[in-house]
Amino acid sequence: MANFIQQVVSGLASGGIYGALALAIVLIHRATGVLNFAQGEMATLSAFVCWSLIDHGWAFWPAFGATIFLSFAGGVVLEQTVIRPIQNGPLLGIVILTIGLLIAINGLTTWVWGGAAKQFHGPFSTAPINVGGVAFSKQDIGVIAISVVSVVLIGLLFTRTKLGLGLRAAAANPTEARLVGVRVPGMLALGWGLAAVLGAVAGVMAAPSLFLEPNMMQTVLLYAFAAAVLGGMDSPVGAVIGGLVLGVLLNLVGTYVHWVGGELRLAVALAVILGVLLIRPAGLFGRTAVRRV
Amino acid sequence: MTRNLLVLSLALAALAVASVAGATNAGTPGVSSSTITIGSSGPLTGEAAAAAGVLRGADAYFKYVNARGGVNGRKIDFKYLDDAYDPSKTVQNVRELIQQDNVFALFAVVGTGSNLAIRDFTNASGIPQVFSASGATTLGRDYAKYPWTIGYLPPYSEEGQIYARHILATNGKKAKIAVLYQSDDYGKDMLAGFRKGLGAKKNLIVQTVGYDPTASDVQSQVAQLKASGANTFAIFAFGKFAIQSFVYANKLGWKPQIYVNDVASASSIMKLDPQGTAEGSISVLWGKDPATPKFAQDPGVKLAATIIKKYVSGGNPSDGFLVAGMAEGFTFVHALKQAGKNLTRKGLMTAVTHLDEANNPFLVPGVKVHTTPTQRYPISAVQLQRWHAGHWVPFGAVQSAKP
Repeated sequence: MANFIQQVVSGLASGGIYGALALAIVLIHRATGVLNFAQGEMATLSAFVCWSLIDHGWAFWPAFGATIFLSFAGGVVLEQTVIRPIQNGPLLGIVILTIGLLIAINGLTTWVWGGAAKQFHGPFSTAPINVGGVAFSKQDIGVIAISVVSVVLIGLLFTRTKLGLGLRAAAANPTEARLVGVRVPGMLALGWGLAAVLGAVAGVMAAPSLFLEPNMMQTVLLYAFAAAVLGGMDSPVGAVIGGLVLGVLLNLVGTYVHWVGGELRLAVALAVILGVLLIRPAGLFGRTAVRRV
Repeated sequence: MTRNLLVLSLALAALAVASVAGATNAGTPGVSSSTITIGSSGPLTGEAAAAAGVLRGADAYFKYVNARGGVNGRKIDFKYLDDAYDPSKTVQNVRELIQQDNVFALFAVVGTGSNLAIRDFTNASGIPQVFSASGATTLGRDYAKYPWTIGYLPPYSEEGQIYARHILATNGKKAKIAVLYQSDDYGKDMLAGFRKGLGAKKNLIVQTVGYDPTASDVQSQVAQLKASGANTFAIFAFGKFAIQSFVYANKLGWKPQIYVNDVASASSIMKLDPQGTAEGSISVLWGKDPATPKFAQDPGVKLAATIIKKYVSGGNPSDGFLVAGMAEGFTFVHALKQAGKNLTRKGLMTAVTHLDEANNPFLVPGVKVHTTPTQRYPISAVQLQRWHAGHWVPFGAVQSAKP
């Protein structure tokens, strides 16, 4: 029983990271209609920036704040320089471009920081807290808490502010949004900036436990896609819950289904994607798009 | 039609260039009067990137030798490509090295999976694949089928047995063993040896869990192993997964006696362990670890530091992978010398299977390189070491790791 609870707790901690990255994917998808395959590498790049600042003697929180700011600026600049020129082309072109970005950013991080794994001291202690035979750390709690706080903030932004309304309008119907006075290009840039910020949060949270190296988020990205699909591609709440559910599910299946074991976890994630798309394409929390014809 | 013609003429042009290139090195590919071109592939990036030190160290040693006149009047030109520890990329790299760069031999290709993925090709083409940076038992055992392949590291199955024997000798009654292994040829090889070493006491193992080398972490696996109630933890992993194992064990408040295999135990990796869970861990060594205080004044380690300073930009002189690479480079240069001025691929294979090298400055005293046509494990002795206060301390006598 202790092992069962332990696996659930560890799964929630991993799932918090999947959820945070899934949230970034969902955000870009919602704000611009694009699936961003470079999201994982953007997160890794942000984590490296944060690591460098800490390495230069900064304390964690100022370094984290600066990273958030730089990531936001980076996301906006990326949209302005790389995405904007083909914004009106076919969607597929933009998606392929994000795959190109994945490779380019990965090359950049490897070139600047090298390929070897680096230790990243996070803000939370990893000392074990033992409750009834189940061990967890402040780090685990911090990761989950930050995911939840992120989703609440993003949710408030989207549903409670005029800016959020503008973001949604720009993605849903750019032409009509423009007619009612929404500055669509600015909204798209803002969407990328916010997604880069969420990526930075995910990367910096993941780095202390996964160890920082250029490919750190590649497998996590696949889990994040699975989480986003599970939760519904347009639901921020769904993305985080999808991440947590997936983290727990992978741990339990890996522990108790013997032919899956530790090795086939990735396949389970893909099975989740396939299963959701077949049975409930909109995901657990997504809305089915209905169109009058 | 015009396109077909274009393709055809391009192909012909390529053929012409290739035959001209081939004609310049009379006889042996990759060998000219002034250079020997050799190639390799390894994880310059990715989760196993630390192991790239082997290639960088060997390269630095070759540059050092070249600056002193080379081998039999020829300089060594060492080309190595990145495969990110992915055997399918190794295959592409090796094809490129052989077909475009026309290398004489493949040297110190890193990783068990990578070496197994290319050996059908190298053996079918008669290309030497020597001193693979892997301890896969099959590399030394199956020479009848793969005569062009030879490894370098002590065989993993023997390494596994050595840990098993140490457990039986020190805690044979009370040990309850949990094993984390990389679920591929490499991890399974080690695990099989470990089981064999326990012999009748196999049931001391209470749980084994594998992980896929493309996974992001092994947190769940470590939690599962802890839950088995084990007091002994064998880590047969690689690179960051080994360190994650230490960190997660600590996070779970688990304090077992840890055994960690050679290729995962470099001081540079072990030092990443923040909380000192690693204290008291046991591993083996065969190459001199520059981070071990015992070797601080050692002439081999000092030579290595000089070479690193001069030829490895940004190289850390206490990186054990670099020194291991130099040990391999030293043996390779030795074999080239032995193969003589009239260098052929067959001649190299004869040389690498008739080695008797007692003067390799980068190997632990007492560890010698010895091969015969039927004894194809160049390094077949190791010494145990224990992690204490931030570095490895060798203990006990050098023992055989010969199957």
